[in-house]
Amino acid sequence: MAGAVMGKETKDLHQHAGLSADGSQFLTFRLGEELYGVDILRVQEIKGYTAVTKIPNTPPHIKGVLNLRGTIVPVVELRTKFGMPTIDYTAFTVIIVVVVQDKVMGLVVDAVSDVLDIKMKDIQPAPDFGDKVDVTFLNGIGKSGNKLVSLLDIDRLLLDPDSKDSPVADAA
Amino acid sequence: MRMDNEDFSQFQDAFFEEAAEHLAVVEEGLLELERHPEDRDLLNKIFRSAHSIKGASGMFGFNAVAQFTHKMETLLDSLRNGQKAVSPSVADLLLRSTDCVKTLIQSAKTRAAVDEETVQRLTAELAAANASDSQPSAVSTNDTAVQPVSAGNCSGDRVYAITWTPPEWLFLRGLDPLQTFKELRSLGDLTGVTMDTSRLPDLADLDPEKCYLSWTMQLTTGKDLKAIESVFEFVREDSKLSIALVTSKGESEHAQKRAAATSTAAFDTETIKPLGQILVEDGLVSPADLDRALAQQKRVGQILVEQKAVTSQQVEEALQKQRQQEAVPLSKKTDTASIRVDTAKIDKLINLVGELVITQSMLSDLGSRFEMRQLPVLLERMVELERNTREIQERVMSIRMVPIGTAFARFPRLVRDLSAKVGKKIQLVLSGEETELDKTVIESIGDPLTHLVRNSADHGIEPPEERLDNNKPEVGTIRLNAFHEGGNICITVEDDGRGLNRDRILAKAVKHGVIGENDKLTDDQIWSLIFKPGFSTAEKVTDVSGRGVGMDVVKRNIENLRGTVSIKTVTGRGTTFTLKLPLTLAIIDGMTVRVGKETYIVPLLSILESIQPKAELVKTVVGKGELINVRGTYIPVVRLYEVFASEPEYTDPKEAILLVLETEEEHVAVMVDEILGQQQVVIKSMEQNFRKVEGVAGATILGDGTVGFILDVRGLIEIARHGNPVAA
Repeated sequence: MAGAVMGKETKDLHQHAGLSADGSQFLTFRLGEELYGVDILRVQEIKGYTAVTKIPNTPPHIKGVLNLRGTIVPVVELRTKFGMPTIDYTAFTVIIVVVVQDKVMGLVVDAVSDVLDIKMKDIQPAPDFGDKVDVTFLNGIGKSGNKLVSLLDIDRLLLDPDSKDSPVADAA
Repeated sequence: MRMDNEDFSQFQDAFFEEAAEHLAVVEEGLLELERHPEDRDLLNKIFRSAHSIKGASGMFGFNAVAQFTHKMETLLDSLRNGQKAVSPSVADLLLRSTDCVKTLIQSAKTRAAVDEETVQRLTAELAAANASDSQPSAVSTNDTAVQPVSAGNCSGDRVYAITWTPPEWLFLRGLDPLQTFKELRSLGDLTGVTMDTSRLPDLADLDPEKCYLSWTMQLTTGKDLKAIESVFEFVREDSKLSIALVTSKGESEHAQKRAAATSTAAFDTETIKPLGQILVEDGLVSPADLDRALAQQKRVGQILVEQKAVTSQQVEEALQKQRQQEAVPLSKKTDTASIRVDTAKIDKLINLVGELVITQSMLSDLGSRFEMRQLPVLLERMVELERNTREIQERVMSIRMVPIGTAFARFPRLVRDLSAKVGKKIQLVLSGEETELDKTVIESIGDPLTHLVRNSADHGIEPPEERLDNNKPEVGTIRLNAFHEGGNICITVEDDGRGLNRDRILAKAVKHGVIGENDKLTDDQIWSLIFKPGFSTAEKVTDVSGRGVGMDVVKRNIENLRGTVSIKTVTGRGTTFTLKLPLTLAIIDGMTVRVGKETYIVPLLSILESIQPKAELVKTVVGKGELINVRGTYIPVVRLYEVFASEPEYTDPKEAILLVLETEEEHVAVMVDEILGQQQVVIKSMEQNFRKVEGVAGATILGDGTVGFILDVRGLIEIARHGNPVAA
């Protein structure tokens, strides 16, 4: 819930500069061979994958909704969202519950990895692939040892910038 | 003493609540009294309530309320003693006075300014009504004549700054300064008492029998200088005493406004002293000099007007805004929602919780040493647990249930005033006031109901002459009724007026382009046109209706409560509006249905019947549009799996089940695989973490912990007609 209580200014800073000066802690997770990171302050909890209820007439990356202790939480499958091939879920498949503005959402990922400290100097801006690959939802690329971590801007990833009413961007 | 302490605020809330109840009794009683002027019991009842208001408001220091109610009470008393007869004009005066008490209490609540003029006028009228009697009660009339009603506290209207240095021999003569302060306090509000200890010598030099202290303080009092001086009479000798008039009350109000306007801290005797006062206290200026300076000082608004920067009109508006802003936060704070619950309900609940605890301990006992042969016992206990839980749920929900009579209470007065205003004779008949309804629902239906009643009075009921011409009784009737029907509450607003005018509605709809000129509409469809935004067939816009709030708002408000509005009308005979509302907002009765692997909940209220159709009953139009013949009527078929793009078990209507659902406008048959059962479900919001989903009214948690969707019938029809919003 830390994300929700974070002051607006701090959050703006995070969004614009991407990160604070001395870097941050990131929860990293896997999609296939790739490693991704989200700001640990935005993570509410991690739970094992449980069956979700599909929402009618929603794009495929919106996996459905689940019951999180009485609240209805939408779940986004990141593989589909990124246009990666889907795989069968395993015992490692988890849902990372994140707070996006005042909304709670779940992300289905292949497996969680470590919590990494990434210094500002180890973060470089997201590469530009032109029209070929959309990386607008990346805050940057972090280096940790010989690992490359794509740092997600979950606000941009999960919120439709054009419409405040439609939190999960419909364009797949 | 004033009780403006924080600690008292909770009691104040209770006072406001009680006062509102008493006022309702007074108002209701007065209305009744107009019809039965001889009813002594009624008068006693009104008197008792008025007396309670007076007593309680006096206790809380709302003296304006207490004083005004006292005047009312005096009049009521003479009516009660038979010294005066209840005439329409007296009843009317008392009703207007009740309104005044209402506003006085409101302003006590929000600490807003009081409309002194109305208060004074009504006070005078009440006094006159009392005096017009042959044996006037001398005390009460005198009382009203001399004592103006003050909105503030009783402690007076002048602020004196007092500096007192008692003589050193004070203690030697056995005089106690504390006594002096006690006497001062008895004169009024004593604030800002500070002790000057600067003359205290070191302990070694201190003579304990000498007084080295001096004090400064402020006294707000209605008494004059002499009275204050007399307090110091015994210690006057050798004392250094200065008593200065800082401000009179009117002045202090000015000072307060000035302070607010120049955005310095507001004048508050207990915290910050105004500059003028400090100067006077320090002896730098005399009070008279200060008064002259203050008299010359202008208010910001005035200066701006003189500089022609703004018009006085604009300043007035800005001040209005300021006052509103001052009033708003306070009223917000005091408006904490509370509910009064019958003790019997709570006792019952406590019993049930007791039972639940017993069942739970029996279960855990059983669980700790469970053997398979005890299975029947376990099952039995589980049934008990289920029964306990269900009963507790019902009881807890019933706490929120309030009789609808509270929402009806405002209408007798409304109709009385309306009929006078529009020059019609109208009687109001209420029934079913004891019907219980969720508190939130009751609060939200007040405005829609008021609108419907106003509409009936203004448009529905004809003027007396027209009614007589049409062989109707001269007095029109508006009936408000509430009753249970299935899982719903129905509220009807019925009038015996002229009914809706079909032609006029049609003409207006065509003119507004809502419908085409040649459209064929059923009567029901025509009536429902009046719920369209911007639709008003009133020939003239009156003060009463045809204003901002239209029928569309009524409809929307009701729909927000998951209710419906329907109209029945017979030309020349009258119109009936029926509001159908769910009993509670959080829980609905639902039918769980299955389509493929998905489970959905259909609100039980919208289900008319379910059928397994014979093949020959399903027909198509232009090859696609499916219709089913239900006892002679063709109803469009909506295949749920098509609408929701899911995998069904059956695609043949013969094998599937059709639920015939109703919306306000139409019927539709929704095709599902199977009906699973009926259950109460708790509605959860989809919007909280996601967004609105077409065709889905909300979500709920099913028995197995997964999420199920509650269908929105009208949304389904929309998707079926216009295609689904994403796939399209």
